[in-house]
Amino acid sequence: MRGDRSAPDVAVERIEARPSRVAETVLQTVLVRGGPILALLVLAAYLSVATPYFLTAGNLTNILQQSAVTAILAVGQTIVIIGAGIDLSVAAVLALSASLAAVTMTQWAQSVWLGILLGLLVGTLVGFLNGVIITKGRIPDFISTLGMMSAARGVALIITGGLPVPSHLTATVLRAYLPPQVIWLGSGMIFGVPVAPLVALMVAIAGWVILQHTALGRATYAVGGNREAARVSGIDVDRIKIAGYTIAGLMAAIGGLVLTGRLNSANALMAEGVELQSIAAVVLGGTNLFGGEGNVGGTIVGALLMGVLGNGLNLLNVSAFWQRVIMGTVIILVVVADQWRRRRFAA
Amino acid sequence: MEVIRPSSGAAHAAPLLRLAGIQKRFPGVHALDGVDLDLHPGEVHVLLGENGAGKSTLLRIIGGVLPRDAGAIYLDGQPIEIRSVHHARRLGIGMVHQELSLVPSLTVAENIALGMWPTLRWYLVDWLAIERQARWVLDNLGVKINPRLRINQLAVAEQQLVEIARVLSLRVRILLLDEPTSALPEQEREHLFAVLHAMRDRGVSIIYTSHRLGEIHRVGDRVTVLRDGRKMGTWLVAETDEDVLVRMMVGRELRELFPKLKVAIGPPLLEVSDLGGGALSDVSFTLCAGEILGVFGLRGAGRTTLARALFGLQPYERGTVKIGGRPVHIRRPQDAIRLGLGYLTEDRRQGLVPHLQVPPNMTLASLRHFVRYGLLDHQGERRTALHYVQELDIQPPILSRRLLFFSGGNQQKVALAKWLCSRTKVLILDEPTRGIDVAAKSEVFRLVGELARSGAGILLLSSELPEILAVSDRILVLRQGKVTGIFSRGEATQEALLKAATELSEGVT
Repeated sequence: MRGDRSAPDVAVERIEARPSRVAETVLQTVLVRGGPILALLVLAAYLSVATPYFLTAGNLTNILQQSAVTAILAVGQTIVIIGAGIDLSVAAVLALSASLAAVTMTQWAQSVWLGILLGLLVGTLVGFLNGVIITKGRIPDFISTLGMMSAARGVALIITGGLPVPSHLTATVLRAYLPPQVIWLGSGMIFGVPVAPLVALMVAIAGWVILQHTALGRATYAVGGNREAARVSGIDVDRIKIAGYTIAGLMAAIGGLVLTGRLNSANALMAEGVELQSIAAVVLGGTNLFGGEGNVGGTIVGALLMGVLGNGLNLLNVSAFWQRVIMGTVIILVVVADQWRRRRFAA
Repeated sequence: MEVIRPSSGAAHAAPLLRLAGIQKRFPGVHALDGVDLDLHPGEVHVLLGENGAGKSTLLRIIGGVLPRDAGAIYLDGQPIEIRSVHHARRLGIGMVHQELSLVPSLTVAENIALGMWPTLRWYLVDWLAIERQARWVLDNLGVKINPRLRINQLAVAEQQLVEIARVLSLRVRILLLDEPTSALPEQEREHLFAVLHAMRDRGVSIIYTSHRLGEIHRVGDRVTVLRDGRKMGTWLVAETDEDVLVRMMVGRELRELFPKLKVAIGPPLLEVSDLGGGALSDVSFTLCAGEILGVFGLRGAGRTTLARALFGLQPYERGTVKIGGRPVHIRRPQDAIRLGLGYLTEDRRQGLVPHLQVPPNMTLASLRHFVRYGLLDHQGERRTALHYVQELDIQPPILSRRLLFFSGGNQQKVALAKWLCSRTKVLILDEPTRGIDVAAKSEVFRLVGELARSGAGILLLSSELPEILAVSDRILVLRQGKVTGIFSRGEATQEALLKAATELSEGVT
């Protein structure tokens, strides 16, 4: 089974060193790998010139904190999309987890740890449910998670009664505030570094390990790249998909705790539209929207790009209404460009 | 044996259709390399070649399905671009596809009229005209099929006839037929030939692809042989000789192409008795260690159904399966793999993940052997992959290259390596040489022969008579899900196999 490992690598160079192919490979690498980073640098350079506030420590920290939640959701979304799925419910699950955790800690006067545990559990459970409904019910991912998006927000509204948690009433009458641990998660600092981006980094590392270094990750690529081949190779396709959605649910719940800490409260309608941002981050990062290809590193760059774009639009005083139009347009353009690039370089 | 000289075609008038220097590349394959072809008015021109020789690609370029990379196409002497299937039809070129392209949930009549529904006023569809037209076309073809039946209520052979009827209804000048007889029983095949001759006599030109030598004399006027994307020559059918055509198609004698290793047959590995349900009825056979058991049948005979049932991809209702003497119940591919089965799918693309590199594709069926402390052992994967890349001579030997950039033959070797890697004891091969070139075919069978010698049992499902005859120890013939014959190596001939595959015979063992 042992062989000389250098032989094929020599062959690689000999075969791939033809000039036309080298040019193509370089161009391809720039477009596939370097594209998002290039775009990030260009956008950052433009904003540094266009507004004096962009390149300040405060603003950069702000961007990191704002991107953190999108990034956490996008890591879960990456796993789902590589498995040829899509999760439209991540932002709603975030709101549900955050609401349940916050209500547990304040209105129900339970410990912070029980609140965190319940929040993470409900997110994981909803993710698991997504996977089961899609695989066992044979429903398109898109429809199933769209339904779950509405249902999860609904349950969050029921739990919170439609009010922010802690509400003015609970805060003044019961003197129940969010515990400091949660606040720390969203807006605290550790050795001068904001905590929220560190949580995002840890989630990203976990996602990377899962995708690159576990059998589950490999199977996810196989299922997304060719479902039938995966099945014939003895991979339990349903189990892989359920695992992906469950992980996405758990990550959405983590995002919910972080966002609650940053906003100092939770509510049933928080993080509205973030599911689209997470999908945009994934596709910006080079993951194939139709599955089988992609990686977490790209997704993190994609999330930063979305964060810088949002921040830049704010600094440039673009109205919130127009921001939504621009964000939507960016998402569509990114997917169009992605499909074009794939046809050009992979076909 | 006569001397064969390429026909000049000078006896005919100017060609109706002329192709010059057609080039087509797919990732990893040079599918067509400078192919020329003349089609005269009112001739049946047979395109002959092995699977993967480029016949279908050429036909699809003429039919507007694929764009060409280079070369020119002239119709009535004028250079033309065939932009789409629709455009081809307007030019009077109609194509019958190898893969059925009917809508299963619509009726026969609706399918025949598909895309050109006759309308009444206000764009309302004229259903009566649709049915009238369908009856007329089917009668013309001499086929008795009720136009009101839905396609999914028909047998595969009947579906094929509907497909042909649909193109005939187009009133084309040039008719392209891609292996139209691959699923047809003998009687309907004769029917089809008669219809084609009648059309030819009305002035329609026909290009007909085939890899069945026996048909050529019955159907064609001229024959062009393709091999590995190159044209070997064009001859008048009346002046050709089968042996020469075979050599042109294959490039070598069959015996050297598929050498048969001497292997001692061991104890039974796989025993199947009375397997039934779905398209299968009471299939029984035994596969021994070291044996290559061929399974022959026309399209729709149940070959793939049998393979999928054995591998747990679709359930069977009756019967027992024993592996190594022990009764087993295989419900899922996971069970099959654990019991030592491997399945090389009919369509290569069903067995491989194109965007993944070589090592992940090879280890896909045995991933759990590459997990250490919950993490994947990338080093071990690479070592194993390298071993098989060298042993199977996979070209180019680049582990990091994604599978979609390899040629068909090398992809097939990777698929084979996947099952070697999972230590398969019973390997089911479903059309293992489809779409790969002649050299790769020979290579694949060499590897399969060695696997058999190492004590594995091989179930070879194929519709290619020459290769199944060359490599099998015994051959089992299926027709409509039933075993209609088992032949030993000595007694199997093309005629005997075809007879068992097409006719209902009684009392065969």
